[in-house]
Amino acid sequence: MLILLKYIAKLLKALASEASPAQIAGGLILGMIIGLTPVLSVHNLLIVVLIIILKVNVGMAILSFLVFSGIAYLADPIFHNFGIWLLEHEGMQATWTAMYDNEFWAITKFYNTVVIGSFLIALALCIPMFPLAQIGVVQYRRHIHERVMKTKAMKWLKGTKLFSVYQAYSRVRS
Amino acid sequence: MRVKGILFVLIVTGLVFLASWVSIDSYIESEIEYQASLVNGAVVEIEDFELSLVDLKIRWNQLQVANPDNTWENSFETGEAELDFLFWPTLWERVIIEDIILKDFKLDTERETDGYFEIPINESGEEAEPGFIAGVIYEISSEAKENVNTEFSNIKADINVDSLMALLDLKAPEKIDSVKNGLEEKYQKWETTFKETDINKEISNIETTINAIDVKNIKEVDKVLASIKNVQKLAKQVDSLKTRAQTIRNDFQNDFENARFSVGLIDNWIADDYERALSLAKLPKIDAQNIAQSLFGQELFSDYAAYLEYIAIAREYSSKLAGGEDEEKIERYEGKDYKFSDKYEWPAFWIQNIDLSGETKTAIQLAGKITNISSDQQKTKEPIVFNLGGSDASNRSMNLSGEFNYLGEDPRETVRFNYSGFSLAGTKLSPSQLLPYNLVEGTGEVTAQVNIIDKRIDSEIEYLNKGLKFDFGENPDQGRVQQLIRNAVSSANQINVTALVDNVDGPLKVKIRSNIDNLFVDALRSTISNEVEQARAKVEARVKQEIGNRKEELLSFKDEKEAQIRQEYDKLETRVEEELAKVTKLQDDLEKRKKEIEEEIKKKAADALRKKIGF
Repeated sequence: MLILLKYIAKLLKALASEASPAQIAGGLILGMIIGLTPVLSVHNLLIVVLIIILKVNVGMAILSFLVFSGIAYLADPIFHNFGIWLLEHEGMQATWTAMYDNEFWAITKFYNTVVIGSFLIALALCIPMFPLAQIGVVQYRRHIHERVMKTKAMKWLKGTKLFSVYQAYSRVRS
Repeated sequence: MRVKGILFVLIVTGLVFLASWVSIDSYIESEIEYQASLVNGAVVEIEDFELSLVDLKIRWNQLQVANPDNTWENSFETGEAELDFLFWPTLWERVIIEDIILKDFKLDTERETDGYFEIPINESGEEAEPGFIAGVIYEISSEAKENVNTEFSNIKADINVDSLMALLDLKAPEKIDSVKNGLEEKYQKWETTFKETDINKEISNIETTINAIDVKNIKEVDKVLASIKNVQKLAKQVDSLKTRAQTIRNDFQNDFENARFSVGLIDNWIADDYERALSLAKLPKIDAQNIAQSLFGQELFSDYAAYLEYIAIAREYSSKLAGGEDEEKIERYEGKDYKFSDKYEWPAFWIQNIDLSGETKTAIQLAGKITNISSDQQKTKEPIVFNLGGSDASNRSMNLSGEFNYLGEDPRETVRFNYSGFSLAGTKLSPSQLLPYNLVEGTGEVTAQVNIIDKRIDSEIEYLNKGLKFDFGENPDQGRVQQLIRNAVSSANQINVTALVDNVDGPLKVKIRSNIDNLFVDALRSTISNEVEQARAKVEARVKQEIGNRKEELLSFKDEKEAQIRQEYDKLETRVEEELAKVTKLQDDLEKRKKEIEEEIKKKAADALRKKIGF
């Protein structure tokens, strides 16, 4: 719980001014990929490593993962149908077969309709989402942040004992 | 880039490798031991298991597979072994082993500890039904016990039939009496059924109603219509009575069928009693088949049943392992897996090649190959094939080859076995009193061939005993039979015995023949045949006397009672049919009467109209 709180606080801080919009947008799209695709896929291991080693915002990645997991639950039939279309596409058969016969590609399970469908849709979404997220962060800082901090929910969060404990812990640590 | 992040990833990766390096061997060893013990039903132990992920090899120093039927013994054990496995299938939870080199392979070795393995309740599953091969083994084992104690000498025609009968406890009379009691109860039940049935009462009521309707005196249409309605009701009632009567008939016909079946068994019960009496009196049937079975049956069929046990184990293991294959399930939104080639159609478990070397219990150096042991032959598209052989300096040789093929719909097993050049000196060819002599010289050869396709077995096992020289010195003549047998076998320096077990043309046939059967038959027929026949006739007569007229009495009782009940039913059926005819006639009469009244009314109306208008 404390770790989650830590990342929420970090996210709020980052959104306010600390991190660059690109870092936050990077966290969002990487979290989105994990959220939209089946979690226990091999490619997600690589995404997690990227989140750890790249200077992206981890809090945003976690938030994005949670939000997009919910969306994925509803969107799975779309991913499945898109996956069927891809895997049955005549022009792609040679590629799929070559990938299937290569053990490395085979363990990615890209021969599964939901895995390939959701992964490619997630990748495609990265293209508009990255710049949009950056613009969003700038706009948030300019117009929304102040109002968010004044909302009842935020006040309640700041008033919780757990948050005070976290703040004390942060102060001691710094 | 986060330096801390990179360090974190590197440390975690390093820790994972370290942890797997340290603990993976013992974990895999215990997991393999547990799973193999579950399949085997007794402990499977591996010593000094070592897994090398670098060169993809597994090694161990000793493997012991305990015998589930005798847990202080190993079915087999091996010494040092090395095997190569494929890496990628392990990511699909498949174990594909390319090559195993097994040294110091030994069969039936003693264990230092008990190999009992208690299968956990959640793993035990349902008790398997005894299979076809188990059935064949049972029949062959029973055959092996037949005629074992048959005595061919000391047979006397004047056997004491009274004491024999006292010992025998005939079963047929008791069974016949029990059938008779059962039939009496049944017939009593049917007599009561016919006496107490309310069908007769209902017929009387219908009769009364019919008689009360005086068709000729009905003058009005309303009354005719009311009567027609009543009669229609009666017709339905009679129809229902007919159905009830037919149900009664079906029920008692079923009972009669059961009774006929029981009565049909009487002859078998009598024959069984007679055979038991002959067996108790130790009266043999003197023919070649019986002689051969008495001489060689016990040992030959015991060996045979033992060979079949191995095939039964292979078939059982094959079905157990195949049952463990994971089923393909596509749950909602888990997506669908596409297969672009059959590259990953691996079975859960596949040993492609085993190079085996070791020695038999009789110290023959054995070497050979076993290929394609797998949990699912449909996926490997290869049957299990084995070929092992070897010999020793004294020209003894052994060869075992065969194929367990579960590729088609019907499981097929083929096994060929040959063991030759073994010395027979100091042994007896048969435990029978007909051939009690030890051999001074001789070599033996066993050849077995078993072909099983699902539930069709065709097999042959042959013993060739060459260069035989019997030691008659220690066995002085004990009578004419022994003398004749001794003369017969002393001239034979070769004895060949063949056992045939097959169900190719119908039920399982178990035959055993040897080249000395006829010598024995001639010797016995010329000596004890008359005594045997007289004794058999005495026993048969006594069995018949004890059973007496029970069968005939039962048959006449059955026929008489059946006829009585059939008569009762016929009476009932006739009454119902008569009543049905009466009701039908009444219906017709009423319809006719209705038309007449209608005509009369029409005529009267026409007359009245004519009068009014003045015609």
